[in-house]
Amino acid sequence: MISLRQVNARSGSFALTDISFDVAQGAYGVVIGPAGSGKTTLLETIAGVVRAQSGKILLGSDDMTHAPPEARRLGIVYQHAYLFPHLTVRENVAYGALSRSIADDVAERFGVHALADRSVTSLSGGERQLVAIARTLARRPEVLLLDEPFSALDPRTRNIARRLLRAIYFERRFTVLQVTHDFTEAGLLGNVAIMLDRGRIVQQGDPEQVFRKPASPYIADFLGAENVFAGTAQPIRAEPPDWFASDDNEFIQHAVAFTTGQLTFYALGDVVPGPAHAVIRADEISLSTAEPSMSSVQNQFRGKIKEIVPVGALTRITVDAAGTPIVAAVTARSVRELQLFTGVDVVVGFKATAVHLC
Amino acid sequence: MARAVVAVVVAVLSSAFLLFLVAPVAGLVTAGGARGVASLGSDVELRRSLLLTATTATIATVLGVIGATPLAYLLARKSFPGRAIVSALMDLPLVIPHPVAGIALLLVLGRASPVGGVLFDMGLRVASSTTGIVCAMLFVSAPLYVSAAREAFARVDPRYESVARTLGDDAWRAFRRVTLPLSARGLTAAAVVMWARAISEFGAIVILTYNPKTASVLAYDRFTSYGLSETLPVAAVLVLFALIPLATLRALRGGDPLPRV
Repeated sequence: MISLRQVNARSGSFALTDISFDVAQGAYGVVIGPAGSGKTTLLETIAGVVRAQSGKILLGSDDMTHAPPEARRLGIVYQHAYLFPHLTVRENVAYGALSRSIADDVAERFGVHALADRSVTSLSGGERQLVAIARTLARRPEVLLLDEPFSALDPRTRNIARRLLRAIYFERRFTVLQVTHDFTEAGLLGNVAIMLDRGRIVQQGDPEQVFRKPASPYIADFLGAENVFAGTAQPIRAEPPDWFASDDNEFIQHAVAFTTGQLTFYALGDVVPGPAHAVIRADEISLSTAEPSMSSVQNQFRGKIKEIVPVGALTRITVDAAGTPIVAAVTARSVRELQLFTGVDVVVGFKATAVHLC
Repeated sequence: MARAVVAVVVAVLSSAFLLFLVAPVAGLVTAGGARGVASLGSDVELRRSLLLTATTATIATVLGVIGATPLAYLLARKSFPGRAIVSALMDLPLVIPHPVAGIALLLVLGRASPVGGVLFDMGLRVASSTTGIVCAMLFVSAPLYVSAAREAFARVDPRYESVARTLGDDAWRAFRRVTLPLSARGLTAAAVVMWARAISEFGAIVILTYNPKTASVLAYDRFTSYGLSETLPVAAVLVLFALIPLATLRALRGGDPLPRV
């Protein structure tokens, strides 16, 4: 388990402020944030390389706030492998290994045993990173800190490295905290997402929750939300609110009318009347060439296709709806069958529940 | 056209400067080199002074490496109150005239001083002894070592140490197993620079210890007693002697630095 309570730390002129979060035993936490947000400093503070000025750092059940790095039973892998250049691959992997057999076993698992006698300076970037991960795991850490270890790798090597790490993670169930600026990776890997900006946590929780319900337009934008609209929210008090319970609370949601430009969406939320932002994921938006119909989809607007951009398996289509650009993500098959081209008139639809107000 | 003119000006200025540096040394070696090498067999005083110079410079360098390496590491790695002042103090011996350094050392370590008195009572005479030579050499050359060693440490990314710490090393073990090997070449070069500076020292030594004579003091002594002609062999041998650390330094700097991997 990794547990931080109101931790403050400083590295050079950069400060981490009031950091609190938990990553449960055996869970996989991801730290997301723009460059310079303090992600690496956060990992180094947990590792004890950067000293916490105040607060508490618990690893497992032990208070490790003031423990030296070597006593924390953790490992860290940086974006650059930081292999010791005066040692061979074998010597690097064995550097902190609990035993020679563990080092050999991990080297074999990561496919670097064949490189054992080579100088690390002769390795490719991918090989170096695999050796760095093997070196860290050979110590059998209880907590693994990963500082964008795959970001410099080519896609094929990145997938191999991820797969190997995931396999060993599921096998041993150590606690992981991984820094990434790639939210797709965070969604794929994490149980807990921690969004960091300028040394402070701005949102944390289930990755899907952070992705779908960002706490601010800035976070939405950073996480790649395609539709972030500034406008005005007005709860519709005349309608009875929806009540629903969660694990730890009971929420109330009013129907809300959100106006941006010449459009008014219907949404659900507990917002104060006034300026707000609406976030809608592109994959929540449907397109139709038929006329608007009576359906449970509360928000339907006529518009004209302005741009079609294939992105991987999906196609991003930008529709101009009364002067407001709305981006939808649809499959290539839908594009084909609906005969969607630039200039075609379409109806844009999304449910009120797809609109997140912040 | 303008580029060609600039190239010619640069070439002429560089050549003139190199000539200015090399000509006196080359002239000295040409005039006295052969006689100097030949006199090594017969000139006992010259042999002794060279041996004394090498020995005291080596002792001063060893003391400097032992005493100043931790300081160089601190200056390279740690931020602490007064760091800038300590850095400035390290440069002080480099900027004060060396005879003045000798006078300062005499004032602090001479028999009349409290420290010198205590040392004398312990049987350690500083003035007019090999100890004085070592002190003078240490004082004027150790700052060069600190400066170069600090650079050597600074070139090693501190994250290597961080990784070693998370792999189970305490601070000393991480330093010994990672930082020291990675900075070894730079530290050796720093020690060679210190040794080279020590063997060439004259000003501070001549104030603190005229006798026994180091090679530089002997050259001065021969010059004032017998004139230029008698000094040439000694001076030429000293130049050849100084080529040893110079060649070592070139060899150390010639290799590729360790890349970050």
